[in-house]
Amino acid sequence: MKKILNNPADYVDEMLEGMVVAHPEIYAQPVRRVIARAGGATAGKVGIVTGGGSGHLPIFTGYVGKGLLDACAIGDVFASPSAEQMAEAIRLADGGAGVLRLYGNYGGDVMNFDMAGEMVEMENDIRTTTVLLTDDVVSAAKEEAEKRRGVAGMVYAFKIAGAAAEAGSDLDEVTRVAQKAADSCRSIGMALTPCTIPQAGKPTFEIDEGEMEMGMGIHGEPGIWRAAIKPADEIADEMMTRLLDDQPLARGDKVSILVNSLGATPAEELYILFRHAKKRLDAAGVEIVMPLVGRYATSMEMTGATITLIKLDDELEGLLKAPAHCAFWTV
Amino acid sequence: MIDSKAIATALGRIARHTAGATDELCSADGALGDGDLGITVSKGFAEAAAADLPADVGLALLEIAKAFQRVSSSSYGTLVATGFMAAAKQSKGREAIDPADIPALVTAARDAMIQRGKGALGDKTVLDGMDAIARALEGLEAAGMIDAAIRAAGATVEEYRGKPNKLGRARMFGEKSIGLVDPGQLALLRIVEGLKS
Repeated sequence: MKKILNNPADYVDEMLEGMVVAHPEIYAQPVRRVIARAGGATAGKVGIVTGGGSGHLPIFTGYVGKGLLDACAIGDVFASPSAEQMAEAIRLADGGAGVLRLYGNYGGDVMNFDMAGEMVEMENDIRTTTVLLTDDVVSAAKEEAEKRRGVAGMVYAFKIAGAAAEAGSDLDEVTRVAQKAADSCRSIGMALTPCTIPQAGKPTFEIDEGEMEMGMGIHGEPGIWRAAIKPADEIADEMMTRLLDDQPLARGDKVSILVNSLGATPAEELYILFRHAKKRLDAAGVEIVMPLVGRYATSMEMTGATITLIKLDDELEGLLKAPAHCAFWTV
Repeated sequence: MIDSKAIATALGRIARHTAGATDELCSADGALGDGDLGITVSKGFAEAAAADLPADVGLALLEIAKAFQRVSSSSYGTLVATGFMAAAKQSKGREAIDPADIPALVTAARDAMIQRGKGALGDKTVLDGMDAIARALEGLEAAGMIDAAIRAAGATVEEYRGKPNKLGRARMFGEKSIGLVDPGQLALLRIVEGLKS
């Protein structure tokens, strides 16, 4: 393992400490492993919280900020935070108008967030709702879409729900819009090399030099095939085909597209993928709104990329374009 | 009537009894899982026993659920916490509960645990033990409840010894799990035995 760190056990806490002192106007850490907006909850505004393991920056903590999230509970690398940390995030996000829990569909996170919701309901009378991201199209068949994992689609859901909350919508309305955004997202990933969890010290999977894996999840969950690496256009083609098969688009439809690095893949290669993905959308007569190309949802230093498409109507487009600001992204 | 002082006393007993069963539970778990169940259970009850319980029985039970979550994020720890949380919801706002309410609280805990664990009865898990206890307590006088719970939990362990595990990591062992006691059911037996120790 070659990593810039001190003690592997301090990896997450030192990362959070660094983030907060680098951007004190955006982030605060009122409780260990819980990041909230520097200014605290906004009175009268619906709060939005998320949570999950570390190792995915800017997901999850990075997206705390105006027009985005209010608070986030963060666990060890690729490990769920505790229910108490999640409950604390909900309390810190509560401005008296209720709190939406918006996060990815992973068993441990779901159990703990459900517990956290019960805790704050009993102790603090905070009303909460839940929307889960299930955008990874290869993680379960379409008939079992509710079992799919949540990946980079979270970025769009955070943005859209965050804008609705900032605009003063009530909890039911923010929840409705967040669910609509989640339902409109489809993602797929591919990987070339694994990453190493600091406390484990060895790679999350093995892959031969010269091979790629299509469909891999952001923790190294197995994908759908592994074979010799293909040219970028063929990779983009297969990814786009799988996304469009799952959510067919008609001529005149609008989407936003996120071409995302899993960590080590450079922006150069993302643009090579984007270029071909755009050709596919152009050919289908689909208009691209606010394309995103960069590092939005990572898996430590994994080499690889994900593509997310979100189908937009006027409502989602307006919310996507509304102002937002965090250390990693400004709209 | 059972107040939060009585609950704290019971937790102390369970903590002592499960601490003594740590090795036994770890070794039963080691045969089918990762071998840390004894630590999960003993650490969880030790933390709960050390907690400062509020007088409101509901909030006291919530505190126990939180203590369990704090020290043990394993699925067994989460299930135990879920059970206490379900009982907590039903007793919020009361400074004491009538023993006659216990069967309903156990039933609520069982139902919440089944829902959270996404398990079914008959899968050879702690849920079968909870179900047996809930059924055994129905209509009983307070004095007989602890003995009935111990008998039901013990009978569940023996009944399922000859059956295969169908849920969680132990499921991977399939037919090989026949003849082995389910560690989660055994842990539940040690927990209810603790009430009498």
